[in-house]
Amino acid sequence: MTDALDLDDIQAGALHERPSPYVGTYVLLRVNDAHDGRRLIRRLIPLLSPARSVLDATPSAWMTVAFTYQGLQALGVPQESLDSFAPEFKQGMAARAAELGDVGDSGPDHWEEPLGSTDVHIALATLAPDQASLDELVERARRAQDEFPGIDVIWRQDCHQLASGRTSFGFRDGIGQPAVEGVGTAPTNPGEPPIKAGEIVLGYPDETGGLPPMPTPDVLGRNGTYVVFRKLHTRVAAYRSYLREQAANRREEALLGAKMVGRWQSGAPLALAPDADDPELGADPKRRNDFLYRDDPRGLKCPAGAHARRANPRDSLDHDAVDVRLHRMIRRGTSYGTALPDGVLDDDGVDRGIIFVFAGAHPGRQFEFVKTQWLNDGIFIGAPQESDPLVGPQDGSGTFTVPRHPIRRRLRDIPPFVVTRGGEYCFAPGLRGLRWLADLTEESR
Amino acid sequence: MTAEAPSRPGLQVGPTSEFSLFFHVKPGHGEALRESLEALQAAPGYRPGDYDLPIGTIHEARFVPFDNDTRLLFATSFDGSWDAYMLDFASKPLKLFDAIFQNVEGYDGLPDLEAVKDFIRSAQLTAGGYSRNYGGTVKEIRKAERVNKAFQQVLDDPEAAELLQAPALAPLLAEASD
Ligand code: HEM
Repeated sequence: MTDALDLDDIQAGALHERPSPYVGTYVLLRVNDAHDGRRLIRRLIPLLSPARSVLDATPSAWMTVAFTYQGLQALGVPQESLDSFAPEFKQGMAARAAELGDVGDSGPDHWEEPLGSTDVHIALATLAPDQASLDELVERARRAQDEFPGIDVIWRQDCHQLASGRTSFGFRDGIGQPAVEGVGTAPTNPGEPPIKAGEIVLGYPDETGGLPPMPTPDVLGRNGTYVVFRKLHTRVAAYRSYLREQAANRREEALLGAKMVGRWQSGAPLALAPDADDPELGADPKRRNDFLYRDDPRGLKCPAGAHARRANPRDSLDHDAVDVRLHRMIRRGTSYGTALPDGVLDDDGVDRGIIFVFAGAHPGRQFEFVKTQWLNDGIFIGAPQESDPLVGPQDGSGTFTVPRHPIRRRLRDIPPFVVTRGGEYCFAPGLRGLRWLADLTEESR
Repeated sequence: MTAEAPSRPGLQVGPTSEFSLFFHVKPGHGEALRESLEALQAAPGYRPGDYDLPIGTIHEARFVPFDNDTRLLFATSFDGSWDAYMLDFASKPLKLFDAIFQNVEGYDGLPDLEAVKDFIRSAQLTAGGYSRNYGGTVKEIRKAERVNKAFQQVLDDPEAAELLQAPALAPLLAEASD
């Protein structure tokens, strides 16, 4: 086995940065007839881009195809192979709800249909820098879907970057990403050497030095990656009102907002710009991710409980039994819904938020670990009572500690700002894996 | 958030869970095991009085050879879900225990982390009872120690009695008389 990444086989989505600006469309399909499902895959393969093609030059649009456990089953994948997938994937996201903190308003019984149901089989994610290119590729995929009566389109979500270039809460996102060995893109954080390819793509050594557990047969598992998507509604008016109530003035409002995230709205990190936003820094891809937390153990610049410091503590936990490199992930989130106009504090009833997308080889120790141990829980920072102030499963009684000279500030009664509308664990095979799926016959069961 | 997570093995009290591993010592390795335990005990961080175990989230740790050194117990109290951190243990602190585990059955050592994980899981038994005398995590206890030390320093200052009369300091004054 060679360790060189097979960029001609890996689907582009996991390894290619989202363009900016971007537009995107997510489509979910149900396979009522295995034969039609396999024929559809055959028709979709020519529309897909291998990673190499997009790393060399950004194409006009690219699509990623992924399957749920139910989807693989509906296509006639043999049980032995189904059994070989990661346990979280086999259970599905709805079954993991209690574990993930998806309770109350975020619970699966409140999810948007058909998310979390056994009807979700195939997920198609298409991204493009402009609407015309997106429409063209989505339309080509739609024509393929329409050819097969055994396929139903059961959900569609359109996404686009807001005019501000920011997400609904007002922050630039998608900044903190690990570089992946063998892809050739330089790390944006020189303090974090590229992670092993096997952390993101199956079939290659990972950070443990071994090979990640890979589904069988080899042709299906190799060059595949797990994809987690979640539709996360953001309560922007509640968020703005809360900050307004806590702050004496606009400047403090912006500061508290930044303390919650770990970055200013422009993207400038508190670690480098502790006192005031620095839009130039926020816009500079070379500098805005070049930092560690070792000079700030008490969190006076960036609180230990800030979202980005929780999600990637960098060197904060070097003295604990934690190997942060085992808990990194590729994020490909996109925004949906219109922006709440500046200054509006009343809820206009519009559904807006992000489609959170994770790509990685280990849904358990990457996505679920970060979500449960670091975002939902505060034990690791010595604050068991606190969860992530921005995205944690708040029940309205939570606190957030902002270290400060001379006396720390403690925000109280934090309402939930993010509500899970649903999601799914998927698997995106390599192109050979897709061909294998397309070639399945009734006898292979 | 310390909600009981159903799949988390080990009994939990507040943020802390008990973690006990029972190993079989390889035949004839009793003496070597004792030597490796003594070496660990002499290592920086583990020495009595160092209070600086390289795993910042355990309250204490003990290795107990028993049944004439044919068995070995490792017992500790861990802040958080040790099951979630299993690979982290295997990847970082395990190296310190490597010399000890060389003397027990079923341990092949690194680099096969998945095998090490199975080795640990198969040795784990959940307690029949587990109680604690304080609720904090190691990080909170350390903070509390620092705060108390600072408070005692303040009390040693002759001006403390007067300054602590300020109404906002009433809770501190209540702790100042002994
Ligand atoms: C609606 C929900 C969420 C919002 C609005 C949000 C927003 C943000 C923002 C503004 C940043 C800082 C900019 C950046 O580095 O990209 C960030 C970073 C990050 N977020 Fe989230 N996030 C959300 C949910 C999540 C979830 C569910 C996870 C993981 C389970 C996550 C993981 C991360 C990671 C890993 C980083 C990068 C940290 C770093 O490398 O410094 N986020 N997020």
